[in-house]
Amino acid sequence: DSLLGEVLVVELNTAEPWPENATLYQPLREDQILLSDCASSLAVQAYLRMCGLPVRVCCRANAEYMSPSGKVPFIHVGNQVVSELGPIVQFTKAKGHSLSDGLDDVQRAEMKAYMELVNNMLLTAELYIQWCDDTTSSEITRPRYSSPYSWPLNHILAYQKQWEVRRKMNAIGWAGKTLEQVYEDVSQCCQALSQRLGTQPYFFNKQPTELDALVFGHLFTILTTRLTSDELSEKIKSYSNLLSFCRRIEQTYFEESGCFSGD
Amino acid sequence: MAAPLQLYCWRGDHGLPSVDADCLTVLAYAKFAGAPLKVHKITNPWRSPTGILPALKTREEGSFSQPSKIIIQLRKQKYNADYDLSAKECADTLAFVSLLEEKLLPALIYTHWVDAKNYVDVTRRWYAENIPFPLNFLLPNRIHGRQLERLRLVRGDPTLEPGEQLEKELYHDALECMTLLSQRLGSQKFFFGDSPSSLDAYVFGHLAPLLKIKLPNGKLQQHLNSLDNLRQFCTNILVLYFPSESREAPAKKVSNHADGGDFDNEPHKRRNQILSVLFAVGAMLGYAFLSGIITIKHTPARLEEPHVDEEEEEED
Repeated sequence: DSLLGEVLVVELNTAEPWPENATLYQPLREDQILLSDCASSLAVQAYLRMCGLPVRVCCRANAEYMSPSGKVPFIHVGNQVVSELGPIVQFTKAKGHSLSDGLDDVQRAEMKAYMELVNNMLLTAELYIQWCDDTTSSEITRPRYSSPYSWPLNHILAYQKQWEVRRKMNAIGWAGKTLEQVYEDVSQCCQALSQRLGTQPYFFNKQPTELDALVFGHLFTILTTRLTSDELSEKIKSYSNLLSFCRRIEQTYFEESGCFSGD
Repeated sequence: MAAPLQLYCWRGDHGLPSVDADCLTVLAYAKFAGAPLKVHKITNPWRSPTGILPALKTREEGSFSQPSKIIIQLRKQKYNADYDLSAKECADTLAFVSLLEEKLLPALIYTHWVDAKNYVDVTRRWYAENIPFPLNFLLPNRIHGRQLERLRLVRGDPTLEPGEQLEKELYHDALECMTLLSQRLGSQKFFFGDSPSSLDAYVFGHLAPLLKIKLPNGKLQQHLNSLDNLRQFCTNILVLYFPSESREAPAKKVSNHADGGDFDNEPHKRRNQILSVLFAVGAMLGYAFLSGIITIKHTPARLEEPHVDEEEEEED
């Protein structure tokens, strides 16, 4: 029964071309969006631009609640709503657009593994720094997260989110880490990415893939976001090939809009 | 001469040196790196130096848990299985370990601890039979609750319930992950050539329980069995590095749990049994004396028997 449903969905998807009014929803850029959400949103935007699929970016204060999985960003295409980079990649693949078709099996395995490396280490580190470091949490994260709401809802929502993230950190074993150890993990992750990239223009030589979009989204956002300390962006700046990688993608795919990152 | 290192881990069964994935990872890495460890195979996590298993106890630097920390500590002591890896291979190791943790581990947690049939028939039964009294009533359910909570937090859905939809999503990711690992391994003996590294330890630690412990709801097992090179990889490591366990496997199922091996708690178990029997007998005798069921009468020795009868009647 569900298998038939899936087949129908795939057929419907492939039948419809990509519409002109596809929209991407994210939290408010100036005041509300956080580092981790901005990184995820930028990764999706980069991916869609690499595929040549036009999408309009729409900022909404309640984007997180509108999303089907509770995570941002999500795209609204035709009558479908899809959130997070993984499902969006599969969705565009069903419509016939894919960046990783030219890879062989071993390369595809490596691509998926490195994407999980970014999710496992880089995204988790961003969440840790935002919500588990008391300075950052009280000075930047909580005020930003709760900015669209009035008292007392802003306090309740912010603390609820913080408590949820801290419990998750506890469950995966990150609660015992110090900030220095987290910075060290970021450094290791960047070293691995830098090693894999080497001197190539993209991770799999000439053509960008979803891995390039994901890495760009996270690294660029970290480089251009002001936090309580510069240590995170300094870690990335120490790898020159990652810096030129980010600049290359920005110039190739984002040249018409000069400033689009959350700050 | 390096300080003696002691490793506390869960006991083994079904032909494995340990039933727990993290313990297997650490044991395999230690064998690959040639680290001389004194291994304590226990079934009571409260007896470990950190309260959880696996745990590495060093003489100077205290105790560590979590496989990543233990491996770092072993590397510090110059037992490094990744010494020969190039920088790119080290980067690949980080990436593939992340792949394991993000895509395979949630499904493994689900299939061993959350899936109703598997948990009740296999996992809970093993832990309840092997953990000493009275923890065997508390711990399995507590671990079950904690694993379900962990799945909920990682998926970001506090209302998650075990069911077909969740199983489908988790298994889909896990099957893809296993296929990717199989493609990366190809026809090589280990992931990076001819000698094993930490990535091999992690993959072995996660896949070996799935291979060896027979589960009633075994979709993941079927897929793993269909990937010949991964199955060969696991059995290879078992035969090469843990030969005693794989040989004992058929006999172990028949033998009693209390027999054999170098179990630390066995002398204590015997001593506890004797002490508890003595205590019970002593308690019964004490109650009997106090309530008058048994009385010891100290009667002075009499020469004539008929007098004794008369005097006894008077005393009553």
